[in-house]
Amino acid sequence: MKEELFASGRNIPFIDPVLHIWHWQIPLYLFVGGLAAGLIFFASYFYLKGDEEKYPIAVKVAPFLAPIVIIIGLIALLIDLRHPAYFWQLYTTIRIESPMSWGAWTLGAIMPLSMLWPLSYIKDLQAYFDNRLCKMPFKLISWIIKMINRYWFINWIYDWSIKLRKPIAIINLVLAIILGVYTGILLSAFNARPLWNTSLLGPLFLVSGISTGAAAIMWMAKEHHEKLAFSKIDLILVGVELFFIVHMFMGFLASTAVQQEAAQLFLGGEFTAVFWGLFVGAGLILPAILEIMELFHFKIPIAIPAFLILLGGLVFRFIMVDAGQITRYLY
Amino acid sequence: MEDKSNKYMNPYLAGVLIGLMMIAAYYFSGEGLGGSGAFKKVTIAAVNTVNHDYAKDAAFFASSVKDGKNPLDSWLIFEILGVLIGATISAGYFGRLKLKVGKSPKITNKTRLIAAVIGGILWGVGSQLGRGCTSGLIMSGMSVNAFSGYVGLIAVFGGGYAFAYFFRKLWI
Repeated sequence: MKEELFASGRNIPFIDPVLHIWHWQIPLYLFVGGLAAGLIFFASYFYLKGDEEKYPIAVKVAPFLAPIVIIIGLIALLIDLRHPAYFWQLYTTIRIESPMSWGAWTLGAIMPLSMLWPLSYIKDLQAYFDNRLCKMPFKLISWIIKMINRYWFINWIYDWSIKLRKPIAIINLVLAIILGVYTGILLSAFNARPLWNTSLLGPLFLVSGISTGAAAIMWMAKEHHEKLAFSKIDLILVGVELFFIVHMFMGFLASTAVQQEAAQLFLGGEFTAVFWGLFVGAGLILPAILEIMELFHFKIPIAIPAFLILLGGLVFRFIMVDAGQITRYLY
Repeated sequence: MEDKSNKYMNPYLAGVLIGLMMIAAYYFSGEGLGGSGAFKKVTIAAVNTVNHDYAKDAAFFASSVKDGKNPLDSWLIFEILGVLIGATISAGYFGRLKLKVGKSPKITNKTRLIAAVIGGILWGVGSQLGRGCTSGLIMSGMSVNAFSGYVGLIAVFGGGYAFAYFFRKLWI
């Protein structure tokens, strides 16, 4: 038991001395937000580059996951709210200086667009899910296609989603980057929490999110060249992530006592084993080794590095949200 | 690329290497090697997270959780994580890294998995009654010449031979 005596006016339940208001919902949401950003980013980028046929899974198939995971994240956010019925009030204002406002509006825009994108490729999705073990998605997609043929207005939306692919891809590319960065900036804008208050958090969350997107795509890919391409992309992203992590800690250690104390949580403190073992070790370095072996033509089932990357991304967000709430400017 | 999936290390060489590992484990961590210990610690950590008040008073859990100790803060946990990582890389290197159910061709995957779960539960209970499994009790025990290690050896391998006949259909 660790006991502390306070002689301070600062004792606000759930906020001071330690923040205790964010539970599993927020890290889960940050994870799916990053994953969706990655999936949408790759789909838009490779579409605009004209690689639709070269990377069919990335452009046509995988993006169907994006709206599904965004909905899961939004449900988590709603559960987190004390008064869920008031969520719409975020949409009564635009505040350019508030990351939460950016996030709310980005999600509001990317949600319908991320649904239009897979709709425009619904026939490719049907082909992908045909002959799969699980018949559910195939039946659902066939039902949607039936609806498109039956009702003129759904058919009209479908036609336009195909015609508007290029502008949607351009808007989605920008929105995906905003979504990915915002999941980190949401935390880094908290200047009362030293662990979060670093400008590296935005880029780090963006890269991590894009990397989980690449992992999901390489897991789903059928053709070897597509698996390999996304494995290579992922490898580069893991390298960038490691670079950011090292520099984040260098920044903390070169900063004031509270930042150094925050870093100590990961350098000997209670999050050391889980951060370096589960996230950096099993979630970045091990999959990176497996991906490098893949490049040297060893037979590696791609599901293993992909799963590890996804799990690492989830663990990373849980650690950052939990640890960040403990760090403080108290002494 | 040449197929290495059926090439295994010479068992005598592997045995010597495990022995050297054992010496290293005792030298660096003060504990031997263990297989079941890590699973026990994970179970204790799970119980402790759900209900700390129960865990700190129950005989089986108390020693690992009292005084705010974290049951996962243990050499065995890191050893098993290392085993998982090392095994994955080694299997990948030799082209054996795939998801499959090892079994007799005459039984279904379902039968095999049910039998494996039952066997695993019995092994878990047995290893706790015997204060360790093949690695923790027999290998680590015998390496320090503990009498219990030799008894464990006779019990585990004797029991294995005695029961193998009845369960042979799971494998052949």
